[in-house]
Amino acid sequence: MIRHDVIVLGAGLAGMRAAIEAKRAGVDVAVISKLHPTRSHSGAAEGGINAALGNATEDSPESHAFDTVKGSDYLGDQDAIEIFAREAPDDIYELEHMGAIFTRAADGKLAQRPFGAAGAPRTIYSADITGHVLIHVLYEQLVKHDIKVYEEFFATQVVVDGGQCAGVIAWDTQRGGLHAIQANHVILATGGVGRMYYGTTNAFACTGDGMSLAWNAGVALKDMEFLQFHPTTLKSNGVLITEGCRGEGGYLRNKDGDRFMVGDAPNAMELASRDVVSRAEWKEIADGRGVDGCVLLDLTHLGWKKLQSRLPGSRELAMDYAGVDPIQQPIPVRPGAHYMMGGVDCDLWGETRVPGLWAAGEVACISIHGANRLGGNSLMETIVFGRRAGQAAAERVKEQGDTGARIEASVLADEDRRIAGIVGNSEGERPGALREELAKTMYDKAGVYRTEAALAECQDKVLELRERAKTLKIDDHGSIFNTDLTQALELNSLLECADCLVTSALARKESRGAHSRLDFTERDDDTWLKHTLNWNDNGQVRLDYKPVTITKHQPLARSY
Amino acid sequence: MTEIKNAHFTTLKGAYDTEKMDATLRVRRYDPETKKSRFDTFTVTIPVTASVLDALDAIKDIHDGSLSYRKSCRMAVCGSCGMRVDGGAALACKTPMKKFVDAGHTITVSPMGNLPVIKDLVVDMAPFWQKIRAVKPYLDTLDVDVPAKEWRVAPEDGDLIHKESLCILCGCCVSECNSMESDPEFLGPAALAKAYRFIGDSRDKDTRERLRDLNGAHGIWDCTRCYFCNQRCPKHVDPRDAIAKLGAESFKEGFTRDEGAKHAKVFVDSTYKGGYLRETELVPKTIGPINAIKDIPFALQLARAGKIPNPLSPHKAKDNDEVKRLWKLLEKEAKGQPRRATAKHPDAVQGD
Ligand SMILES: Cc1cc2nc3c(=O)[nH]c(=O)nc-3n(C[C@H](O)[C@H](O)[C@H](O)COP(=O)(O)OP(=O)(O)OC[C@H]3O[C@@H](n4cnc5c(N)ncnc54)[C@H](O)[C@@H]3O)c2cc1C
Ligand code: SF4
Ligand code: SF4
Ligand code: FES
Repeated sequence: MIRHDVIVLGAGLAGMRAAIEAKRAGVDVAVISKLHPTRSHSGAAEGGINAALGNATEDSPESHAFDTVKGSDYLGDQDAIEIFAREAPDDIYELEHMGAIFTRAADGKLAQRPFGAAGAPRTIYSADITGHVLIHVLYEQLVKHDIKVYEEFFATQVVVDGGQCAGVIAWDTQRGGLHAIQANHVILATGGVGRMYYGTTNAFACTGDGMSLAWNAGVALKDMEFLQFHPTTLKSNGVLITEGCRGEGGYLRNKDGDRFMVGDAPNAMELASRDVVSRAEWKEIADGRGVDGCVLLDLTHLGWKKLQSRLPGSRELAMDYAGVDPIQQPIPVRPGAHYMMGGVDCDLWGETRVPGLWAAGEVACISIHGANRLGGNSLMETIVFGRRAGQAAAERVKEQGDTGARIEASVLADEDRRIAGIVGNSEGERPGALREELAKTMYDKAGVYRTEAALAECQDKVLELRERAKTLKIDDHGSIFNTDLTQALELNSLLECADCLVTSALARKESRGAHSRLDFTERDDDTWLKHTLNWNDNGQVRLDYKPVTITKHQPLARSY
Repeated sequence: MTEIKNAHFTTLKGAYDTEKMDATLRVRRYDPETKKSRFDTFTVTIPVTASVLDALDAIKDIHDGSLSYRKSCRMAVCGSCGMRVDGGAALACKTPMKKFVDAGHTITVSPMGNLPVIKDLVVDMAPFWQKIRAVKPYLDTLDVDVPAKEWRVAPEDGDLIHKESLCILCGCCVSECNSMESDPEFLGPAALAKAYRFIGDSRDKDTRERLRDLNGAHGIWDCTRCYFCNQRCPKHVDPRDAIAKLGAESFKEGFTRDEGAKHAKVFVDSTYKGGYLRETELVPKTIGPINAIKDIPFALQLARAGKIPNPLSPHKAKDNDEVKRLWKLLEKEAKGQPRRATAKHPDAVQGD
């Protein structure tokens, strides 16, 4: 029987940071990940990570917290945001001591750049490969701490025994076979769910598996209607062009060459909050002032030197996937699904209502980002709350010892039958076809702007797809590296998360942050200053709500 | 209900409009259950902007769901999708299909080399990760106290390891490494680039021990300088250049006993003294006189084939001064660019 004190599910920044902390605390920790750790999507983050170091100009955690609360359109929990802003600086110094290669100012300190909706240059970065640098430095620490990784193991179930977390059932992709990996503590760190949308910045692996695992284990998903669209993504494959481009002085123009942000954010212009910029772009395109379904990100005035030294990766991405060299031509961009503000409902240490089941990173909703996340805050969240979850889980192990929760043989046998059923089936539609249908449905009907009618159509379609996905055509009946199977499992996660998203969005009759209803255009604090909860009621989504924690900042109108 | 303003905003018109093309690919298949391999040919309709990875996805989603390959980011940053395209390693997601289609060429896609195949295009990366682990791939500041805030690193010093820091551990270099083909235990280009990433890091204090290890068996001197790694690396890491820097650092630390190091030193000394490479000295000075004697039969064979220069003819270039001038120039260049930088403890920084 395989058994560990703590299992971390996912090896992105949140997962690795949690594992390192638990290991330091002296407990037996192992990581399970469907990808090799350095393949995790955290590595794709470009722009940077926020902490009020005050290296560039004066700054404070209080100011970081305020910007985050305001950016969240007051849906963020202020106790969580205070912890976040206060603990961020030391976590950054620690990453630097671990070896992170950050861009430096002339005095040798960490450089900080301005990012959207931030009161000070607060974003620490490494040119435009910040996530890459961080994922590698944490992997280096994982190796240093000699932490066991179940690499390319796909988790199919989180098991709860007698109300307590009992461990994870996971499929060994490389060798084939299902394993019960027992642990009283499981930290979910499985990342986002962007792949439910057609235009998305997310990797193929961002399929919301952890959200679905938690939902099926009896934990609510929170605020799933709040899905951030990133304003600058490429049409061909959704690849993101970092906000750093606008931070460094890039302009957004419509087909007439006008900087249209002047209409919605005359002060912040291109550096307004992401939801504001995405809406402005979507409007330009929908009203016919776009170019081939896009607006133009103009960097030509920045000059070769600045582009090459500060934004080399973005230049290469534009050349590879859009066929334009931003030194000479503007890059056509449009909003794409980017970040799930919602996720697994958990407390300030990441624990869910199932004792021993924790969550951190994009899969979790603590909630720092509320209705809208600020650029640079989610990388920081993975580190702060990954560390906290690792620490808290390890402490619990030491205090409590074995809780006695176990994965029973019969539970594993049932799961084995379910997997065998998927692998053995050759009737129905292919997973890829259904995934594409879902992704287009979501992009068309639950996008940047929403209405009752469009959302209702979307919901019908999602429910229909959930039915159709019950039997899938699988061509690969083998057990070794069967990605036909893993894609079928991922499709199921996507569909469950989509159902939660659209059900919550349909119910929320107001506009707040990333959730923008054309039929309810105002924020309505009297009725809707509350978190949505999505419960799994025999496979159906059941809605519920809970209050937002407000400490210092009473809701104000949000303008930039 | 009142009429909704701008209801047309919900859906972006033409969101999926793209120009399409037909592409044909030959794909190497390997079935781990029957242990048989074969080639399959597929024709798919894909957008003109599609990459090789997009083409594989089209095959998997529409024609044959059993095709296996690794992928995740589709933006050349996660390092999952290394494979051979027409025999040379590349990232599938960073290789556009259009140029092949325009040329009417059917590409052949096969798994990376120098690593065992698991299924279709998926290779076993375990040996690759083992080598990364072998170079102690993490910062070691030894027992130096870490500062309360960040280490101070001059921007120029950070630049020294910029290229190596771009590595995404995809394995494309290893796939084509000439030396690994004959010695699978050679540390290889990716691990060595990683090693330089720490040796060149002004915060790392374990330089000497790191270099000692790299000068051992299967270390830096086993590289044949074929430059395939530089050519194949999709992230411009130039691992061979990193290996050269490791060689230079080793010399500075006095690690000159390895045959490879001696070999390199003979090149340098001989050209400096005579402006020429005295090949007759190369072998004894590299492997030592006793081993050189053992190799005499082999040398005679070479001589019979006319492959050995006359050892008695004078080996001195006509204009040796020019060589010396070049030498001086290189020396100056090297001095102007201190390879080793030291991070500053903020306590030691004046006027903070
Ligand atoms: C293109 C892009 C750019 C971004 N740029 C920035 C930025 O500049 N600043 C910023 O703050 N944020 C940025 N973000 C957001 C931020 O990068 C992510 O929110 C964050 O990295 C998520 O980290 P994570 O550790 O939660 O998840 P991930 O890094 O996605 O890791 C998820 C892990 O879970 C594993 N996993 C998932 N499902 C399973 C399963 N079923 N079984 C086993 N393992 C599983 C995966 O293998 C992976 O290891 C960006 C996001 C994108 C997409
Ligand atoms: S130059 Fe050296 S390391 Fe690079 S591929 Fe050739 S033998 Fe391998
Ligand atoms: S050096 Fe280049 S080719 Fe080799 S693993 Fe790193 S990124 Fe890939
Ligand atoms: S899919 Fe990530 S490098 Fe190609």
